[in-house]
Amino acid sequence: MSVVVKAEKVNAGYGRFHIIFDVDVEARRGEILVIVGPNGSGKSTLLKTIFGLTRIYSGRILFEERDITREPPHVRAKLGIAYLPQTGNIFTELSVKENLKMACYGLEASVAEERVREVLEFFPFLWYKLSSKAKTLSGGQRQLLAMAMALIRRPKLLMFDEPTAGLAPKAAKEVVEKILWLREELGKTIIWVEQNARLALEKGDNAILMVSGRVAYRGPARELLADRELGRKYLGVKG
Amino acid sequence: MVNWWIFSDSFLITILAYIVVSISLNLEAGFTGVPNFGKHLFVFLGAFAAQGIGVRIAAWLYQVVNPEAASQALKEVGRLVPGAHWSSIVEAAADTGANRIIVNSYLKPFVVENLAVEIALLFIVLGVTILLAMIFGLLASYAALRLREEYLAILLLSFSELMVMVVFYQTESLNGGNKGLWAITFTHNPIRFALIGSAVLAVLAFIYAERLANSPMGRAMRAVRDDEIAASVFGRDIASIRLKAIIAASVLAALAGFFYTQNNASATAITFNRVIWTFLPWAMIILGGMANNKGAVIGTIVFLIGKRIFEYYQEPIGKLLHIQAELVGSMLPNILIGILILLVLYLRPQGIIPEHMSKTIEFSKLAEEVVGKENAREGSSAQREED
Amino acid sequence: MAILPGITYTLSSLAYAAAIGLLSMGLTLTYLTTRIPNFAHATIGMIGSIVMLLLIDRVFYGSQSWLIYLLGPLAGGVAAAAFSVLMYRAILKPLADRGNSIIGLMIATLAVDIILLNILTLILNVVPGENIPKLIGANIIGFQPKIRVAGVVVDSYTIILPVAALVLATVFHLFLTRTSFGVAMRATIENPDLASAMGVNVNLVYMVSWAFSGFLAGAAGALMAFAFKGVDPAVSALVIVTVFAGSIVGGLTSIYWGLIGGVLVGLAEKLGTTIINNMYRAFLVPSLGLPNISLVNYEKVMSLGLVIIVLLYAPQGLAGVDWESILRRIKRARGGE
Ligand SMILES: Nc1ncnc2c1ncn2[C@@H]1O[C@H](COP(=O)(O)OP(=O)(O)OP(=O)(O)O)[C@@H](O)[C@H]1O
Ligand SMILES: [Mg+2]
Repeated sequence: MSVVVKAEKVNAGYGRFHIIFDVDVEARRGEILVIVGPNGSGKSTLLKTIFGLTRIYSGRILFEERDITREPPHVRAKLGIAYLPQTGNIFTELSVKENLKMACYGLEASVAEERVREVLEFFPFLWYKLSSKAKTLSGGQRQLLAMAMALIRRPKLLMFDEPTAGLAPKAAKEVVEKILWLREELGKTIIWVEQNARLALEKGDNAILMVSGRVAYRGPARELLADRELGRKYLGVKG
Repeated sequence: MVNWWIFSDSFLITILAYIVVSISLNLEAGFTGVPNFGKHLFVFLGAFAAQGIGVRIAAWLYQVVNPEAASQALKEVGRLVPGAHWSSIVEAAADTGANRIIVNSYLKPFVVENLAVEIALLFIVLGVTILLAMIFGLLASYAALRLREEYLAILLLSFSELMVMVVFYQTESLNGGNKGLWAITFTHNPIRFALIGSAVLAVLAFIYAERLANSPMGRAMRAVRDDEIAASVFGRDIASIRLKAIIAASVLAALAGFFYTQNNASATAITFNRVIWTFLPWAMIILGGMANNKGAVIGTIVFLIGKRIFEYYQEPIGKLLHIQAELVGSMLPNILIGILILLVLYLRPQGIIPEHMSKTIEFSKLAEEVVGKENAREGSSAQREED
Repeated sequence: MAILPGITYTLSSLAYAAAIGLLSMGLTLTYLTTRIPNFAHATIGMIGSIVMLLLIDRVFYGSQSWLIYLLGPLAGGVAAAAFSVLMYRAILKPLADRGNSIIGLMIATLAVDIILLNILTLILNVVPGENIPKLIGANIIGFQPKIRVAGVVVDSYTIILPVAALVLATVFHLFLTRTSFGVAMRATIENPDLASAMGVNVNLVYMVSWAFSGFLAGAAGALMAFAFKGVDPAVSALVIVTVFAGSIVGGLTSIYWGLIGGVLVGLAEKLGTTIINNMYRAFLVPSLGLPNISLVNYEKVMSLGLVIIVLLYAPQGLAGVDWESILRRIKRARGGE
């Protein structure tokens, strides 16, 4: 399987705050790469770095073998990377329709219309919400809208930052099912940051454990789940 | 006394006054994070105490001590109407031309030739300076404890512009309005008085600011300035320290304005505008490096000497550039100062002499320091590591 | 003495309020996008005034043509927009990228203000007029087309300015809601990271916001040139206070409320102060023996007073007031009667 995205010895942070150190990551086509780790360990920062929202001090980021280390975020978006932030992943002040319109930003009008129709088929509930402001949606609906917006651009890689955080079990289940469906049906590559380590590690292919801005484990997701010591120490997973 | 190349008494007084104002601004902006964009009002308060207030009180004392001479003075300026009293003297003093000179010729000797009067007046004027500064400082800190920094900056600038450019500049009965008013001066040699007074003030201000900066509280203040979480942790202590720093800074600035006015022996509100007494001090502390008292002093001196050289050679420079010399003296320095500030902000966001303390100091350490324990580790970046 | 001011004064107050509204709207826009309070904003508006002055001196001298009202704001707006973009792109953005704090950036705008103010003054002092002998301090009120309202000849710019403000605000509103770049601008204001995830070039949005802001300021400045007793860039030193007042009253969170806040503060300064002054002199001076002075010089007290009231009682400004619940309460109170 070919490598879709790859970070090589990346050091990055915010301004003067150096947050992640010498991180190597790679995700292959069609896999689900799970990233877990304690609070503040730099998981979100890693995703932001891949998307170009932090300052990269050294190292390289390759997307489909192209060096994108110095590209601004909107260029990475155009290349096929979708990033769904932990918070604020939809525009609450805009209507659902305007949110979808934003997702089509830069696409030709005819293509845009086609794509919107397509994602509305995947997420039929949005039909009834088109003209409401996005802030009136429930937490789960917001996640699904965010996913729909990401899909409009037909990205090759989707990066989810804690998509189930704060959701009721039923809504969380629905979101997880959609993520699996993205991989199964559409063959997308997925990087999935998750607090609920057990849930994600059970579904994922490979995993990375981040501790204090460094990679502490890299390998198959199920092996990390089975590792009692790491699990107890960092993930609150009981053996 | 001093008269060599660009150096003169009045230039030295200017330098000393600016040193005090820079230290005072640094106390607010550098240490406590209060972006005082309205410094010019505080400097003007000292000038106002010597003119608007000082002249009034001197006239009133004159009336009390020497009523005949006072009515003689009123007669000469054509204001001896029935019911005329000491406040008419102020009106006359605010007049342009002859009346002003006449009133001055009565009041000035009256002040400097009676030691008791002079001392009493000096205490009153200094007292008024300090009192006014404290009142306005309290107002500023009331806002400073409640507003976000950009709102605070906007409010302080607007408020000072309102007071200086509208209230003081437009109200003739207050302090001569746009005509200005001469100021009460002290001793037979007010320039020497100003020189010595402002030198003493500058030294005291420096010692005070250094002691505050190196105290545990001073360190805590800097941490708070940089970090909102720290601000909430230390909320109460910080509020009181901020209040103290703002009031001290206000008093220092006003006293500097008082001594500065001794040199000119008169003042008009418009000459205390936001470029001269707010923007220039900001330029100086940015040049010297924020939150650094030595830097503020050095920045001030370097800056003023540079500016003075420019004014001193305005004729040849004007010839060189084919523009009028007055424009060289008034417009070009401002343009260059603006450019200089932008350059410093670009090249050294931390100033020429950077602040030594690192931004993140561990909270527990900081808390220890604040409650007075020894040996705090400086410049720690441990916070991140332990997360 | 009449309490209400006459029609000429009322119209010129409206014009002033409209200009402040446009300036506050632009100030709010760049604050929303880039978080920089721009202390040079009023002086950027003066670029428009000077372009207008030059247009009259070189092109429209003695012609009284209505075309001046189209060309003046356009040329002034474009010139100011160009400066505004340059200021952001060449100065503020590099400074922000180098890690300057918001205070550093505010100082930078003050520095730009001083540079620009002195350059403009220098230009007016040094560049000779072709028809108007001395450009600095030139009074151009007489160079506008004449118009009659209710039988009185009034300054036509006072009619044009409010209309222009409405037109510009409407055009801008349509841009923000009907074009995809406009929606992208609103999206960027709410969440720049997410907007970039949608492929929006956020930096371009920022630059365009500075361009718009400059254009609005320059257009307002061009039309306001007729209101000055003499064109002098130093006017901006006090205008900026009113513009900030308008923006803060509006709340600095919505450009529409910025416009409304600016208009309200402008009206309070002019009409409000005059009405208060007339009442003071008609009632308080004779009955209480208060000093018979004119209060109109103290118009800035009004704007600052409004700011203080807003900051104390509604820190989010008018935009943060829950108008719907207030309306509901009013309706309920009506229904209950
Ligand atoms: N904008 C920022 N500026 C400075 N430091 C930041 C910023 N955002 C995050 N940090 C710091 O970076 C570190 C890592 O944060 P990050 O959000 O990447 O952690 P995380 O692993 O996603 O945690 P969580 O599980 O809580 O989401 C934290 O110490 C945090 O304080
Ligand atoms: Mg996170």
